[in-house]
Amino acid sequence: MGPRFAGRLPNVIGLLARLILGVVLIVAGAVKVTSPAVSARAVQAFQILPFDFAGYVGYALPVVEIAVGLLLVLGLFTRASAVVGGLLMLAFIVGIASAWMRGLTIDCGCFGGGGTIVAAQTQYGLDILRDAGLLACAVWLVARPRTALSLDHRLFR
Amino acid sequence: MRPDASKKLAAVAPKKGPNPAIIGAVVAAVVIVGVVVAIMIGSSGKSGSGPAGSAQPAGVTGGKGGGIFVNAATAKSNAPTLDLFEDFQCPSCAQLEKVMGPEITSMAKAGAIKLVAHTLSFLDDNLKNDSSKRSANAAACASDAGRFLEYHAAVFAAQPEQEGVGYTDAQLTEFAKTSGITGAALTTWQKCTTSGQHAQYVTDVQEASSRAGINGTPTVKLNGADITKTLQTPESLAAAVKAATK
Repeated sequence: MGPRFAGRLPNVIGLLARLILGVVLIVAGAVKVTSPAVSARAVQAFQILPFDFAGYVGYALPVVEIAVGLLLVLGLFTRASAVVGGLLMLAFIVGIASAWMRGLTIDCGCFGGGGTIVAAQTQYGLDILRDAGLLACAVWLVARPRTALSLDHRLFR
Repeated sequence: MRPDASKKLAAVAPKKGPNPAIIGAVVAAVVIVGVVVAIMIGSSGKSGSGPAGSAQPAGVTGGKGGGIFVNAATAKSNAPTLDLFEDFQCPSCAQLEKVMGPEITSMAKAGAIKLVAHTLSFLDDNLKNDSSKRSANAAACASDAGRFLEYHAAVFAAQPEQEGVGYTDAQLTEFAKTSGITGAALTTWQKCTTSGQHAQYVTDVQEASSRAGINGTPTVKLNGADITKTLQTPESLAAAVKAATK
């Protein structure tokens, strides 16, 4: 590994973090954005937020996910986007853990669907693990928003 | 030592490239507009109060969006209340009907339970069709004809193998005939079904049930307690009902 590559490696890791978090957010938002009622019920099924407010969160969430995902993939306002993406992941982890602890048997609705399912079909551990990995991507980008192939670099250097 | 002038120079030099603040403001504005539009689209049509479709079917209990009290005529006063929350397109509900349906029906007819059926329709949104709402409306029309349970059984018996195929209008009419709705009652039922006379009621039931924390189907409540997970056999249900009888 030459010194030049070693110097660029963190930028490449940053690029990967951006793409992973960004693409997952875009996919998660895209599968939900065309079914607002399903998304609203998925949030309501967590029984954390007040019913009506949970509905609004369900309507808004896919749009926010797509927007943040696009910004991350483009590398535009990387640090701010990563802050929002990280907060989303943190909220998801808290929500899923809370549902798990309260003994609810729901689908997180992370990629569409949602609502009560049979206990054997719940996969809270996997959901939390996935979101923790995505949170790690966000933390990296907040700490070190300089990444390879970013619009930030192109536009605002 | 010469003074470092780089900071001064940078401040004087003309800014290159676009202004981050302006681009940031534009991006933020687009996202906010997107969120507002999404909330408006999502909230619209939820309480569409059409002049047609606002009629309450026979047997509704518990106020707006309440279930249909199926066996008011036979229920004993000391019988516990069994609430059924089902979507006609839900495969597990058809399974529940298959296993528990005969026992529930016989207990309802004997008056051992106060049977209250809540016909949900959220699966329309998941499956992107309207069969849950149409069949729920048709069942409410069957309640007007005093044949709710029969209609309910006929729909579940004919549930398509593949979730999402739904029910045709012809099928809904067929169910009415097999439930024993005939003659003038059938004409009334058909009119009620075709015009979506209880469409608003169906929407209200979904809304009220969601607010009550019903996030999946089937959900079975005995005197208000969720017993869905404990349902194993018709015998265990009968025992639970007996234990809840005062």
